[in-house]
Amino acid sequence: MDHFKRPLKTDIEEILSRFQDTASVRFEEFLTIWRGMNFPIIFNGKLEPYEKSTFSRLVFTTAAPYFFPPYTFQIRVGGLYLLYGLYHSQLATPKEKIWLALSDWEHVKRFQQDAADAQHYDVVYVLRKLLAEKAFYFTAMPKPLYFRVRRKQEESEQKMCEEFIDRPSRPQELISAEMLEELANVHEHYERLKMGISAASGQSSSDLALIRQNLAPRLRNAMLSFHSWQKNHMENENCNTAVERSTSERNSKVEESSRRAQLLASIKSKSYGQLVEASKSRRHRQAEMVTATSDAESTHRTSGFKRRALSLKERTKTRLMAQGNVKEEVLKMTRLWRLSAVEDERTEEKKKRKFAWKVESEA
Amino acid sequence: MAESGGAEALENVPVYEYIDVNSKPFHIGSFRKLWLDALKPDYYSYTETPQEIQDIEFIEEMRIDEETLDELKTICSVERLRCHSENNPPDTDEIPAEPKLATLKLRKRRQDYKKTLLRDHVGRHDAYANEMEVLAVGRKPKDPQDLVPEGELILTFNVLYPVIFERFKYVRPHQTHHVLGSQKLTDLRDAICCVNDLQVFGEFSETPNMVPQFISKDHYKSAFFFFEGTFFNDMRFPECRDISETTREWAKTYDFPEFHTARMEDTVFYDLKVKVGYPYLYCHQGDCEHIVILTDVRLAHRDDCLDSKHYPLLTHKHRVVTRKCSVCHLYISRWVTTNDALAPMNPCLFCDQCFRMFHYDKDGNKLGDFKAYSYVDPGAFN
Repeated sequence: MDHFKRPLKTDIEEILSRFQDTASVRFEEFLTIWRGMNFPIIFNGKLEPYEKSTFSRLVFTTAAPYFFPPYTFQIRVGGLYLLYGLYHSQLATPKEKIWLALSDWEHVKRFQQDAADAQHYDVVYVLRKLLAEKAFYFTAMPKPLYFRVRRKQEESEQKMCEEFIDRPSRPQELISAEMLEELANVHEHYERLKMGISAASGQSSSDLALIRQNLAPRLRNAMLSFHSWQKNHMENENCNTAVERSTSERNSKVEESSRRAQLLASIKSKSYGQLVEASKSRRHRQAEMVTATSDAESTHRTSGFKRRALSLKERTKTRLMAQGNVKEEVLKMTRLWRLSAVEDERTEEKKKRKFAWKVESEA
Repeated sequence: MAESGGAEALENVPVYEYIDVNSKPFHIGSFRKLWLDALKPDYYSYTETPQEIQDIEFIEEMRIDEETLDELKTICSVERLRCHSENNPPDTDEIPAEPKLATLKLRKRRQDYKKTLLRDHVGRHDAYANEMEVLAVGRKPKDPQDLVPEGELILTFNVLYPVIFERFKYVRPHQTHHVLGSQKLTDLRDAICCVNDLQVFGEFSETPNMVPQFISKDHYKSAFFFFEGTFFNDMRFPECRDISETTREWAKTYDFPEFHTARMEDTVFYDLKVKVGYPYLYCHQGDCEHIVILTDVRLAHRDDCLDSKHYPLLTHKHRVVTRKCSVCHLYISRWVTTNDALAPMNPCLFCDQCFRMFHYDKDGNKLGDFKAYSYVDPGAFN
């Protein structure tokens, strides 16, 4: 089931980005997109009953995060509608529930309040309806945890869709008009005090010029430039990604792998290069310096793809064959379930073709 | 006081310690209290609030009139989510020929591949994977006294099988138990079934009919759970011993933080302070060690098994391949022999019937020299 995680994520992000394009939070709008994509058929297919329930569970764990911060209000509304739609179109019986963690409940409450304040009645109604239908499990964590430690986290899983996230607005919040005014006032007051002191003692005022003269306007300018940079950056990224995606991705992949190889080589050469200073009594068996370059090179070649070691059976067989004291026929042993097979009719076993979960073009 | 209360509350809101792996430790009882304080009782009650009351509440809170609500109801109705006309629901097994959704593309590819296989069979593990889970769904008690109270916590424990070989790295054979928060640790201990509890010790080749009925569960009753630095010992019976003592003594000499002990039978799950998703230990029979993982904690739901008599509820167990008798290859082995001149290998497994026919004459006299022990197959719980 885990293999479906990635395509699910793309589907969900697709429908949400379409919803984002409408710049609306109406359920009507969502419905047209939902119908246009024919989303409920995502549950279709020949599935065993247990597969249906595990798939529903996977759908909810993948879709639920879009209902919570750091996504924008609109995406969260879309996420809520999506959960509502998915919950009602799932094919598992009994219906699988949506895991809702205690730490997320605060967000849900605030979200409901925000929606009510903005008079988005459909949002509140849908949320209420889900709650009344007991579509949620009130849990400790957003999903059951099995201590599945993986050596490397899959990047695509962790990556959030950046277009859905609120632009960081902390600087804007911090530097409001009132705050600037206040600051200007304080600054003015401070200048006046300084003037008073310097006039009294007769010193030049430059000694006390510890602070920039036009603090408030400067701050405002910095703020504005940050804002415009942010805006430009977003726009640039949006148009760039489409163009670059095709070309740069391949390049970057190649670069990355070679970079990694270089890094490995340098680490190796360093660790081999540093010889431990042996104490005097041990000088006579001082280790010789081994350069790692040749060694590292050989590892490069193999590190690209994993070669599985031969099984014990295979190894034993090859060794026996090499020694030459075993004949081919002996190895073709009689098997319990083949006792009755006719000697000549023994056919070679067909090699199993394995299912490729990842297609090259997708990966 | 209020401040410290707030800090304590925050501490018991479970958050990730390592993302997607496990949470930080929190106190289960306080966690439950936090949920119950945060939720309106009708969110977790088993009965649905009547529609009229819901409507009135909504109208009052949103300050809207009834017309708007009716409009909302039609706009947001579940029927409108359907993408087909009411009369001809499409076949849910069908996937359209050219699916647009990425998930369906993958599933279609998978199904097409499966069609090319000569034999497409569902593994036994998969076919019965949620069998027991489904059995328990929505079970109501006969006696209303046994109803699981609303707002009760249900904890899900995965108990792994003792030895995990390298080849089982990806499948972790385990059993899953649901327990109620108000139950004692000993309830879970009694529910865990392990073959090592059923072993019978001794050599019985002379007297195969005299195998005693005492299994090791009756002989060695000591056991402990280990959660977050505390050993919870089972001390219900006079013959129970604190088998964690050796470990603690050893740890003292090796600069470990000090371990505590508590009694299993005095501890309710609400008293525990644990991490979700973190491996803990259950040890019994001296050295049969099971990893125990608390995978999920949640409030009881309307669709859960609501009969408290059925808890701890076993919802999943791994099915083990049984070892068959080496003579008939048909029945599950009951005997294992060693130093057996008649047997092809050493040790050798036999079912009861073959064992007797093979090793004893008509009068029940032992033939040849061998040692026979009773054998309990790991698949005994299948």
